[in-house]
Amino acid sequence: MTKLAIILGVPIALLATIASLGVVVVDVREGGPDGNRIVVPVPLVFAQAALAVAPAVAPADKMRIPDEALEHVGLAREVLEALAAAPDGELVRVEERDELVVITKEGRSLRVRVSGERENVSVNVPLHLALQALPDEHGRIHTAALAGALGGVRFTDLVEVQDGNDHVRVWVW
Amino acid sequence: MRKSILAGVGLLALSVLPAAQAAAQTGTAWLHVRVEEAKEASRVAVNLPMGVVEAVLKASPEMIEKHGKIHLGEEHGLKMADLRKIWKELAAVGDAELVTVESEDENVKVMRKGDLVQVFVDNKAKPGKDGKPVKGGEEVRVEVPVSLVDAFLSGEGEEGNIEAAVAELQKRRGDIVRVKDDDSNVRIWIDEQNTQSPAGK
Repeated sequence: MTKLAIILGVPIALLATIASLGVVVVDVREGGPDGNRIVVPVPLVFAQAALAVAPAVAPADKMRIPDEALEHVGLAREVLEALAAAPDGELVRVEERDELVVITKEGRSLRVRVSGERENVSVNVPLHLALQALPDEHGRIHTAALAGALGGVRFTDLVEVQDGNDHVRVWVW
Repeated sequence: MRKSILAGVGLLALSVLPAAQAAAQTGTAWLHVRVEEAKEASRVAVNLPMGVVEAVLKASPEMIEKHGKIHLGEEHGLKMADLRKIWKELAAVGDAELVTVESEDENVKVMRKGDLVQVFVDNKAKPGKDGKPVKGGEEVRVEVPVSLVDAFLSGEGEEGNIEAAVAELQKRRGDIVRVKDDDSNVRIWIDEQNTQSPAGK
């Protein structure tokens, strides 16, 4: 009985620990009567570990942005910081005959919603994550800082795409 | 009984209404841009907190230098020093019609009225062979606060002071630009709403 408790208890405790550290869940649901449902949970800690070791294994030139993009990094940082400090509101709304695009600032995130006749897309961009993803003044991307920031996006819907009867959702639990 | 319920619901609605309106009032200045194109059935609305506008203007490398100054220089046809001199003279004049151009195609008026410089451009509708207009006219209305020009010209040398101009814009409330032609409508204004409510149209 004790053996059984240990055999079951260790993996359950391990799973509980991983889950408590956060899980990125990719949920794909295909439409139609024969549609499949695929759910891929990826422990956040794995993603963070991969990001943290990336500089050690990736070539140096892959860890920096092209020089021509470097001049816009300052502007991007200023805008993101100003947006983070700004009050919530609807920033952009584009209404066309068959499409609606809305970008709103909600708390610490930018939400982009695109609604069309057939598909609906919703993307949530946590501002602090976007700021951490920006390279430094030399164009170097600091993946370790990005890994740290990932912990702050728990319980967030990142992407939701509804295309006809197909549905894809990525969220962090 | 029914009357009391209705009265109760009415009172509740009245108490909620100001709260709902207040939710859109942020206390900070927002720059709004609205573009409507009837032919394309499209509407674009942009609402930006002035802090973000300031960040964009300050960090835009091609146009603006590091310290929030904009270069005019001789390549733009007018020296900043001349511009300052002209503006000083105009400020001394007070309210006046500064420029009036009347032609077959368009009328242009630039005037100083109180604390505003107003620019009105009216492009006249072009008549076709049968006398009916083939292309509608265009109306442009630009209102620039005098204090904004003062702030912009407060830079030194060949530089305009964009930082001071943005600080002035933070205080401004109301329309800045309105352009209207036969199939499009553009409006730029500043208020404290974080959205473009129908009342703000």
